Amino acid sequence: MDLYEYQARELLQEKDVPIPEGIFASTVEEAVQAANTIGYPCVLKAQVRIGHRGQAGGVKIVHDEDEARFMSEHILGMTIHGHKVRGLLVVEAASILHEYYVSISVDRSSRDYDVLATAAGGTEVEEIAKEHPEFVKRLHINPLDDFDINAAEKMAQEIGFHHADTSQAAHILLEMWKVFIENDATLVEINPLAKVGIPDDEASKHLMALDAKISLDSNAAFRHDGWSRFATSYGHDELEAQAAQLGLHYVHLDGNVGVIGNGAGLVMSSIDAVADAGQDFDPKIKPANFLDIGGGASAQLMAQSLDIVMSDPQVKSVFINVYGGITSCKQVAQGIIEAVDKLIQNGTTLCDIVVRFDGNEATEGLTILDNAHHDNIHVAQTMDSAAEEAVNIAARILNCESK
Amino acid sequence: MSFINPNAPVIVQGMTGHQGMTHTARMLKAGTNIVGGVNPRKGGQTLTFDDIPDADGLGTKSREVPIYATCSQAKEATNAQASVIFVPPRFAKSAMVEAIEARIPLIVVITEGIPVADTAYCVALAQKQGIRIVGPNCPGLCTYTSHDEQNSGIRGVNLGIIPDDIVGYGSLGLVSKSGTLTYQLMSELSDYGFAAAIGVGGDPIVGTTQQEALEILNDDPRVKACVIIGEIGGSAEQELALWAKDHMTKPVVAYIAGYSAPEGKQMGHAGAIVSGGSGTAQGKKEALEKCGIKVGRNPSETAQLMREIMETL
Repeated sequence: MDLYEYQARELLQEKDVPIPEGIFASTVEEAVQAANTIGYPCVLKAQVRIGHRGQAGGVKIVHDEDEARFMSEHILGMTIHGHKVRGLLVVEAASILHEYYVSISVDRSSRDYDVLATAAGGTEVEEIAKEHPEFVKRLHINPLDDFDINAAEKMAQEIGFHHADTSQAAHILLEMWKVFIENDATLVEINPLAKVGIPDDEASKHLMALDAKISLDSNAAFRHDGWSRFATSYGHDELEAQAAQLGLHYVHLDGNVGVIGNGAGLVMSSIDAVADAGQDFDPKIKPANFLDIGGGASAQLMAQSLDIVMSDPQVKSVFINVYGGITSCKQVAQGIIEAVDKLIQNGTTLCDIVVRFDGNEATEGLTILDNAHHDNIHVAQTMDSAAEEAVNIAARILNCESK
Repeated sequence: MSFINPNAPVIVQGMTGHQGMTHTARMLKAGTNIVGGVNPRKGGQTLTFDDIPDADGLGTKSREVPIYATCSQAKEATNAQASVIFVPPRFAKSAMVEAIEARIPLIVVITEGIPVADTAYCVALAQKQGIRIVGPNCPGLCTYTSHDEQNSGIRGVNLGIIPDDIVGYGSLGLVSKSGTLTYQLMSELSDYGFAAAIGVGGDPIVGTTQQEALEILNDDPRVKACVIIGEIGGSAEQELALWAKDHMTKPVVAYIAGYSAPEGKQMGHAGAIVSGGSGTAQGKKEALEKCGIKVGRNPSETAQLMREIMETL
């Protein structure tokens, strides 16, 4: 789970990592008020969970109330890389003398934690790592060990913080580690960790976290009160939120063929099959969603799944792909029929459903579907042909031309 | 070398729960030598499983499985060579630590939803002790034996939730991040059969990587060719490709799921996420192909690639 910047700042602030004064605003009025409170010049930052927002025009400096009003209206109306901006962070402007990059993350390859830092901050760390690997310092921390002040000081020296900053940098690294471990984070990134202050006034200079990105481990929500403090009503996909409440893995995509299956791998494979078959049309037909019903799909779960998938107005056909391992296709078939009957009773307009069963009791499952004589349930022999049929149905409804 | 010897004694942690009961019965029916369960509150009890085939495969009878209060007691009483863990996520760390401390050499963790910090800790602890963890969030692993071997009482081991009836013994090996895709590929290649199949799991950190699993299959003389099933997220497939290029002595084909997955979205598995443009299916496919491994566009094309290889062997 990725936090918004204003939420990440809260976690850093709890550990005394210095951050500039800032106020979150979700309306233009709130933003103007916040800017007046903080004073001018100040910076308006779009709150979206995607990188490169500065380049996209989502971060602007304003010098008076008129500018604050004009720019906050502008930014609050933006969509950045597909993410609609629904909130702003108003922060005091800082005079930056130097920019560093520091992050702590879960390293999937070495199966430990990775502290990564560079004195050549400010730009993309991936680019620096590629062009000047010697500027990037890494320290791997074994999950059985701890990261202590000695290690932090050594790291700070190696990164090449200016002499006077080393001890503050070490303190910040250590606090970042605490934020990482205590919050079950998978990433704590400060970019830039900036040296700010007045050029001629040594006493005014200090390090400050000007931007932060924190990702939390959703699997650890049970020991953090479900991360309820970070639940926001904005920026969420309605259908994804509904599905999550039912314990379903649903990802909303932007196509027209709904996809339901059992097992994350098989469902990924199914959306690929839809995208592949959809290449043949102009415009292309694409999957509308990813939905994994997991093992042992009950009739109720199937009904809820179909309900969520079909309540997406974009969906023109549905592809159900089940390989019965432990799950019995017979039970899934009963689930589909019960679900369809329930949806018809509720007055839902059903689109065509293409079903592919294989494995445990597949034949019995297909017989049940046959005997139900529902006009809009179709059966296909293979995964690829089922995807193709579902795509063809959607293409017909949308009047897409075959290439 | 193999993951586990035929007929090896196995215990189940979390046997008394619904999942544990169901799958213990299944594993027993598949011929796995399950010799005990672990539950701190039910030590000293026994569970009875009906219709379990005899060692010679000719008849069936009931099997009594004793429950031990701790892993150490179970290990001492049974000399278990593997433990299968079905406990809920919040108790998984202590279950893994207990199994490691009891020095059980192979720990298969089926549980989905374990915090990555807990897995990281247990994997590091296991590595230090020379113990192998498979999973978490995986379907487990299976080894198969031939009819002749089965007739003389040598049975393969089914650890986890992989259905036993998809395939029989043969010369293929399989390494996968996904459960249902494992079944799909096994089913498509059932005419060749399998010597071993392992689901390494879909979490960001796993106890046995795809490469480590492939190394074991490469050393297993019963395996003639291998299928790899990967998915988006991380770089395990790239690392495997580089290793295989220099060390693999057997043909390998691969399949990757998730070409159409968008950036930044977790696709079901905790580890299945493309972030910052890395971990894409296309990137994995190219890395594998660069190292001489053929990659199928979908499961059936992948099976077809394997058929073509098997015809030349």
